[in-house]
Amino acid sequence: MADKILTKHFGLENLFKIDVYMKNDGYSAVKKALSGMKPDEILEEVKAANLRGRGGAGFPAGVKWGFVPKDSEKSKYLCVNADEGEPGTFKDRYILNHNPHLLIEGIIIASYCVGINTAFIYIRGEYEAVALRLEDAISAAYENGYLGDDILGTGFKLDVYVHRGAGAYICGEETALLESLEGKRGNPRLKPPFPASVGLFDCPTVINNVETISNIPSIIINGADWFCKMGLPKDGGTRIFGVSGMVKNPGIFELPVGMSLKKIIVEHAGGMKEGKTLKAVIPGGMSAPILKADEIEINMDFDALVEAKSMLGSAAIIVIDQDTSMLDVLKVITKFYSHESCGQCTPCRIGNAWINKIVKRIAEGGGKREDLDKIIQLANNMMGKTLCPLGDAAAMPILSIIQKFRDELESYIPLGN
Amino acid sequence: MSQELTDRTIKKIEELASRYARKEAALLPVLHLVQNEVGFISPQEEKQVARLLDIKPIKVKEVVTFYTMYNQKAIGKYHIQVCSNLSCSLLGAESLIDHLKEKLGIGVGETTPDKKFTLTTVECLGACEQSPCMMINFDYFGNLDKEKIDDVLSKLK
Amino acid sequence: MMKIFIDERELDVAPGMTILKAAESVGIKIPHLCYHKAFLPEGTCRMCLVEIEGLPKLELACSTQVRDGMKISTKSERVIEARKGVLECLLAEHPIDCPICDKAGECKLQDYYDEYGLFESEFNEKKERREKKIEIGKNLIHDQERCILCRRCVRFLREITKTEELGVFQRGIHTEVSTYEGIPVDNNYSGNLAEICPVGAITDKDFRFKTRSWFLQSRESICPLCSRGCNIYIDSHTGFSRFSVPKRVYRIKTRENQMINGYWICDKGRYEYAYLDQERLEEIIVNDSLDSGSWPEITVFLAGELRRLFKMKRSSRIGLIIQSWLSNEELFLVDKIFRNDLNVEKIHFLDPPEEQADDFLLTSERSPNRRGAKELGFELQSADWDKFFADIELLLVFASPFWNDTANEPLKAALDKINTKVLLSSHVQEVNSAFDIVLPMSLIAERAGSLTNVVGSVQSFYPALDAPGDCKPAWKFLVELSRKIAMNNDFYGQFSSPESIRKVMNKEISFFREEQ
Repeated sequence: MADKILTKHFGLENLFKIDVYMKNDGYSAVKKALSGMKPDEILEEVKAANLRGRGGAGFPAGVKWGFVPKDSEKSKYLCVNADEGEPGTFKDRYILNHNPHLLIEGIIIASYCVGINTAFIYIRGEYEAVALRLEDAISAAYENGYLGDDILGTGFKLDVYVHRGAGAYICGEETALLESLEGKRGNPRLKPPFPASVGLFDCPTVINNVETISNIPSIIINGADWFCKMGLPKDGGTRIFGVSGMVKNPGIFELPVGMSLKKIIVEHAGGMKEGKTLKAVIPGGMSAPILKADEIEINMDFDALVEAKSMLGSAAIIVIDQDTSMLDVLKVITKFYSHESCGQCTPCRIGNAWINKIVKRIAEGGGKREDLDKIIQLANNMMGKTLCPLGDAAAMPILSIIQKFRDELESYIPLGN
Repeated sequence: MSQELTDRTIKKIEELASRYARKEAALLPVLHLVQNEVGFISPQEEKQVARLLDIKPIKVKEVVTFYTMYNQKAIGKYHIQVCSNLSCSLLGAESLIDHLKEKLGIGVGETTPDKKFTLTTVECLGACEQSPCMMINFDYFGNLDKEKIDDVLSKLK
Repeated sequence: MMKIFIDERELDVAPGMTILKAAESVGIKIPHLCYHKAFLPEGTCRMCLVEIEGLPKLELACSTQVRDGMKISTKSERVIEARKGVLECLLAEHPIDCPICDKAGECKLQDYYDEYGLFESEFNEKKERREKKIEIGKNLIHDQERCILCRRCVRFLREITKTEELGVFQRGIHTEVSTYEGIPVDNNYSGNLAEICPVGAITDKDFRFKTRSWFLQSRESICPLCSRGCNIYIDSHTGFSRFSVPKRVYRIKTRENQMINGYWICDKGRYEYAYLDQERLEEIIVNDSLDSGSWPEITVFLAGELRRLFKMKRSSRIGLIIQSWLSNEELFLVDKIFRNDLNVEKIHFLDPPEEQADDFLLTSERSPNRRGAKELGFELQSADWDKFFADIELLLVFASPFWNDTANEPLKAALDKINTKVLLSSHVQEVNSAFDIVLPMSLIAERAGSLTNVVGSVQSFYPALDAPGDCKPAWKFLVELSRKIAMNNDFYGQFSSPESIRKVMNKEISFFREEQ
């Protein structure tokens, strides 16, 4: 049984209450970091741990923190991305619900490292109950001296606030998150400048996913080496894989980085449901290019999936069965991106809607021979040409499904059209 | 019905606004607060919120119409939001939506005449391990089938 | 300075410049829709994508800053494909209204399709339907179907007028620009919105269905309705050979001048141009029993009268009313001929009354050359007409187009007592009947010269329209008058054009010399 980092204490009752958390080594990492370590030391440790972002993009957290200009006179901010909008993803909900103090502990250490005194947790609007639990945990942390003006007597000051979103997948993109946090429409910003220099309220800002930050306490306690050994040398630690779809036991599974996809599905998630055969798997949230049934002997780490022309993304595994029509899958996907496009830039706003209209028409029996190639062209129109990654996030799965299931999709187009 | 916001709500709005370097950053949480009290965000609420956060009402409406969770008009007492995204679709969300349409006698996006239920479809709710699932107001219900849906609805007063 | 290459052409550019600006500085055009020089780049239309050697993705020209040694291609296959992609998307959801759209002929979608598109439509779906003829305030009509969501209009109202009447609502393909709760656009710069809209989404009611842009001649001029001296284009129609058109001037457009008016003009200057065509005085009117006159006859007559009074040492019997609608050159001639040569003291400088200025371009002074008059020694006075007109035998009035409003009853009553009253005006007005001789003057739009604006900038202007009928520029009349007065032929003999007058002014007056 591999070691667990994030879900280690999940079985404990009331783990979300601070007294239970503290009885299980809770806040010991904060004590070690604030009293015994310098910010630079913490940064080096996080860099050495090769902790890659667990929101989807996989950017090394330590490197990101290092981009914040040390000598800036502006306030610095930490924004924790709890928007969790990538379809198939539900892991952060578990962390927030079961072990919010782990996240808070990670926030304190990260803020101390970068010189941040205000942190926001941007949580998707639908997670109301989770947000309330988070707020209770934050209050408890204040009451126990882990947040506020003088944390553990070290003079370090930190305020943490929960900020609820209101139903927009695009706000999971870091610059759209900042816009939303500033009370505006979730329109992604042009980069450069990057949030590390010009972020929230034009100040240097670090944005990290819930799971990423939640790994910090254990890195501090056990060290970077230990973290790397848990996973892969260039990609340390564990991942919380979320499995859903046509499997017997959908749920979260914390496993080492690099675990085999087939093993996750068959051994941990119980394999296919009774009477169902595997047809395809989306390995890293809806934006990840699809894998066919014969492509699932693959290790779930960033590099392996890039080589397979897919991506690890949010490690959300969606399992599709043979009885499901790929046209239906495509329909759901194109409807989603069309609905979630913020509307700012031309190729995404119009391209996604156009593709959605074509797919709907095919599904209603009005498909034409040139439709699939047109969708490919429109998707390529978006790849690398939109203002933010949502264009790519839409194009990649669409292109992969048409490429890998073309025959099936063509069968829905009446002959002679 | 539109009304003036209570003093308590106004105080809470001011407290929320004080957390940010700019007052207007509190807009999204404030709109949740107001919708919780009034039930929706109409032009009257837009103007009140705009006044309290020192911004123009047009900016409030720009935000209200961007995010799906803000209602511009009153909806039913129970807002049934059925997830229509991938995992839920794989496990039969569409037939459950049909079931609800038949049971309530309304289409998607509509409200029952007694104003008790509003039915909409939404994108991924982040509870895919419990597909198919729905959210009623803010309560999650997963691992649904027709019987479970009937059971949940029967318990709603 | 840095060295960069655009389409294999070497350029030296300053650091901090964007690729788009660098390209435009050498005449290389990169298509763009959402970018406008007045605003920071937003990068949303994606039309200006270019290829940079060594970078995997195409990058925006409007916002990417140049780096030393950068090699940029604006014509590679990838770039052309990306441009076509953007155009295709825009046109897919665009109502092809060209036959009834006022923007035709100056529409960026048309222009770019012509240059970079020329493909068949492959859109087989239903286009989004939206509202098409929304009156959003003042002279503006908004068509939401034509809107390409460049959001220049929203940015203008947010950053320039700070009035924010337009906002962006909804999301995705349903995104739309609209007013809020029917509150209309209501500021003195609304007309700029129709100009900066790259397509026909915001159009001008004033111009709606009146003509086609390609029939218009666009000529440079200066707006004379206040003392800002905003640079403008006057768009006029010279008619067809077989039939005439109802209007001459169809619209005023803004002309960029970073020193004077930036990128904008106010609605007053844009829309109040009817005076250029309506009620024009085109022929000489002689109101008493004299034979109908011609320019030479009347010039000789006036010169004769002026010489006679001067020689009889009765210059005090000559009166002049001037307004600062005269150019610097014309005021200089008035000063030389009347003050200097003829010793006329009774020169009354009368301007239209001052009105409310706005906090941007519109000044309280509502004439174009108040400052010029000041620099030439003319000060505004209040009008005690009885005193002024006492003992005047000969009165010359150089009127502005709006002088009828200023010419009130006391003035008209006082005019009665004067022997010879000559009016030089551009318009047929009620007050004209009080004068013996009415001479038709051309407007600033129809002649050449220079004006001095409120902050002291001297700007040259040239004819943008032909003067109608027998209209003459004031400077020409004054030069001919001076020759007939024949008191200083060497001096006035130099003058054959406004430029020649200005040359002498520069020599004599330090203000104009410094403002060269």
